[in-house]
Amino acid sequence: MTVPAQKAPEAGAPASLRPARPRWRETLGLLVRNPTAAVAGLVLLAIVLVAVFDEALAPSGPNEIAVEDRLRPPSWAHPFGTDDLGRDILSRVVLGAAVSLRVGFLAVGIALVVGSVIGLLAGFYGRWVDDVLMRVMDVLFAFPAVLLAIAVLAVRGPGPGNTALAIGIVYVPIFARVTRASVLGVREEVYVRASRSVGASDWRLLTRHVLPNAAPPIIVQTSISLAFAVLAEAALSFLGLGTQPPDPSWGLMLAEGRGFIDLAWWLAFFPGMAIFVTVLCFNLLGDGLRDVLDPRQRTLMAGGGR
Amino acid sequence: MSDVLVSARGLEVHFPVRSGGALRRTAGVLRAVDGVDLDIHRGETLGLVGESGCGKSTLGNALLRLVEPTGGRVTFDGTDVTGLGRRALRDLRRRAGMVFQDPFASLDPRRTVAQTVAEPLEVHGLRSGRRERAARVGELLELVGLDPAVAGRYPHEFSGGQRQRVGIARALAGEPDFLVCDEAIASLDVSVQAQVLNLLRRLQRKLGLTLLFISHDLSAVRHISDRIAVMYLGRVVEVGPASAVGAEPQMPYTQALLSAVPVPHPALERSRQRIVLRGDVPSPADVPSGCRFRTRCPHAFEPCPGVDPALQPVGAAPGHVAACHLHGVVGGPVEREGTVASAR
Amino acid sequence: MTAPVLEVEDLRVQLRTPRGTAHVVNGLSYSVGPGETVAVVGESGSGKSVSVLALLGLLPARTATVSGRALLHGEDLLAMPADRLREVRGPGVGMVFQDPMTSLNPMLTVGRQLVEGIRAHGEVPKTEARRRAVELLGEVGLPDPGRAVDRYPHELSGGMRQRVMIAIALSNSPALLIADEATTALDVTVQAQIIDLVEKLQADHGTGVVWITHDLGVVAGIADRVLVMYGGRCVEDGTVDDVLERPAHPYTRGLLGALPDLTAPADELATVPGVPPAPTALPSGCVFWPRCPVRADPRCETEQPPLAVVGASGGSLPHRAATWCAEEVSLV
Repeated sequence: MTVPAQKAPEAGAPASLRPARPRWRETLGLLVRNPTAAVAGLVLLAIVLVAVFDEALAPSGPNEIAVEDRLRPPSWAHPFGTDDLGRDILSRVVLGAAVSLRVGFLAVGIALVVGSVIGLLAGFYGRWVDDVLMRVMDVLFAFPAVLLAIAVLAVRGPGPGNTALAIGIVYVPIFARVTRASVLGVREEVYVRASRSVGASDWRLLTRHVLPNAAPPIIVQTSISLAFAVLAEAALSFLGLGTQPPDPSWGLMLAEGRGFIDLAWWLAFFPGMAIFVTVLCFNLLGDGLRDVLDPRQRTLMAGGGR
Repeated sequence: MSDVLVSARGLEVHFPVRSGGALRRTAGVLRAVDGVDLDIHRGETLGLVGESGCGKSTLGNALLRLVEPTGGRVTFDGTDVTGLGRRALRDLRRRAGMVFQDPFASLDPRRTVAQTVAEPLEVHGLRSGRRERAARVGELLELVGLDPAVAGRYPHEFSGGQRQRVGIARALAGEPDFLVCDEAIASLDVSVQAQVLNLLRRLQRKLGLTLLFISHDLSAVRHISDRIAVMYLGRVVEVGPASAVGAEPQMPYTQALLSAVPVPHPALERSRQRIVLRGDVPSPADVPSGCRFRTRCPHAFEPCPGVDPALQPVGAAPGHVAACHLHGVVGGPVEREGTVASAR
Repeated sequence: MTAPVLEVEDLRVQLRTPRGTAHVVNGLSYSVGPGETVAVVGESGSGKSVSVLALLGLLPARTATVSGRALLHGEDLLAMPADRLREVRGPGVGMVFQDPMTSLNPMLTVGRQLVEGIRAHGEVPKTEARRRAVELLGEVGLPDPGRAVDRYPHELSGGMRQRVMIAIALSNSPALLIADEATTALDVTVQAQIIDLVEKLQADHGTGVVWITHDLGVVAGIADRVLVMYGGRCVEDGTVDDVLERPAHPYTRGLLGALPDLTAPADELATVPGVPPAPTALPSGCVFWPRCPVRADPRCETEQPPLAVVGASGGSLPHRAATWCAEEVSLV
């Protein structure tokens, strides 16, 4: 039988179990082509680098008090100005990045791991597993978020680690729900049944088929949650429950700057901008990732109209 | 060669019908497969036809235990499948493959063709080493008429027919003895259907496969099958050699089904007397007593509501059986009268 | 011969897609007389469905470019303003799609949906419209129409829903009925019921029917004339007997050969190798040449063959095919 059209559209390398190009490299390549997401990613990378090398980058110590320099507007000596105790705001924003991001990543990490495992099990196995797990999530979700976080912090005491834990617990039901909803859809896909029909175990189904295909909304949720976690850390610090003075965190700085808003706008403005830019970039990156992670979109974008 | 590979006895798949509401009480029973006796011989192609909702797909899945039977027995090569443990079940999965209807849904969009085709090899540890597996994947792709060079591509880069070839390659990877094709050509264009039908037939002969070809398309079933089984409302109502069932159907339902298939010959179509059945297929949650076809049967008579007909030899061809009282009233009196009445 | 209900002349449709301009329909002409059934046959991507959606202005205006003429009783559907087109749709043209579940509103009873259709095109009192709805449901063979009228679509079977769709399409006694793969999702026994129904209604009302399908068996049973589409072009047309019994185009021949025959089983089916061309990348010359087993003329790859009369026709219509190889095909 001669079936020319069944042959490859173009000849390539001999059969290999691997895709022609490693997946992550292709993903990265496509992400770079999406200008908004690429810029957002670069900015985030810069912010993360700043957070990692905070001590080296900060022009002065964050808690160096210079009363004679208090409430100076932005200048060459102090690009972001100084606060009411004469501390350099740029230095404090730089060190605050480390605190805010560490809390954010840790919180979302906890929520992501716990929440998506719960969602995965509930969605995949259904029946009583689903009933039990999701009712627990509902109870958790029914608490007002801030109240729940306050309760955790009240029990465990304030501090960055406990703040992250508190925010993480609050976000667990969100991840559980997003994952479960996504898994419920994927579970019914014929390719999952097909894989079962060749003898694949539950573990294999979950890790090779269900999770990868259910992942896009979880990834998007992750980047959005990172944004919210940074905000939540700010809010808790603002309430005096998160980071404790004199340590700098963006939320705490915002809270402290509030009192001087008509006198010295830079106190609240720069930490506010830091929060704003970080949150925006996480969101933009999340949108970009969602597009890039869809294989159908992939060819359309990579092929450029094949 | 007449040795039986797969056999079902009194096979039942009943699904509970739950009422809405928080308590999810069981409101009734949906009899998707309701007492099927069927033998599939080694090396043959058995066509299974019936209309949507008749349970043919559920039956195919139940034979492979992809759906758990709620009653009866299935044996595969002599061993009872219904009681298999995890390990034995996995071995069954290697020896029995399945080709699905929709080639757009049955391939994982995030995995390359090679990863999809190699999955059975990995699951069953069939070829160790990446190189051997890749070679085997290449062989399989060639077997189904695809260029091995496409192995690194993703499903969405292929047409429907090509995807179905990938699905067939996956089903064949474990070197199965038995292949269930569940509406495997239904989503394809006519010209592509012919390509896949030819391919299945060639593979069946080349590899000595036993094929269960499930389809609503009687012409395709007639074309590819050695024997044909007709299903109606959860029951096999007629089985026989393809030529006999195709040319001299003995059960009124089969007759109606065959007469309803349009053929591409205008003169023939104009002259043919179509048997147009009344009404719709009853719900499998509310099966009529006695013969399940009696509510639509043009020949229904006294014993039909009272006696559940059993398969009995009919016609001239050996091995041709049908469940119909027109060929003599055979069968047990109606059981479950109470449940049928209360289900109303 | 009476004036045709619908006359389509040189219909062309282009769609803008991310992959470039898709030439979906490329110069389609046909007419439908009263009481006549014209079958438009083709595989997916042949442009058969788009060609009728274009007639009714149902393509997205932002991406579709439609040209040509489509005269419904002499009035050009393609040149009509949108509001006039909406007026015409009910009483002029009824339409039945493949999937009755998505064409019906799940939130409304079938009666409501029928009554709406009836009242949208004329001052009919509500009670009168409802009486007419029950009557229509009876006419399309719904058992117990008096009760069925108050049912929701999900309470009906696929065949019953398709009957409701036909009742809606016929509610204003249109001069033209367009059925787009109307029986494809149905079982053969139900399909037979629906075909019987359409034939009966057609005989009663003299409706012209355009029946779009890929199923040549259905065509043989229902059509007076057949139009075979491939790559957005009509590659063959003529009476149903001419086209199906004496196919002149290699594509039509291939399509018929690819069908397993219930009455005369063959060992190996003839196949048309390969897949239909993408409408964004149609081949030059004859649209079919890359898949054509005949390809006997030097012009095949370069010059587009016109639709020309082939052989003597048994019927009143010319039997035409767009191929350079008509003689070679008849010899095969």
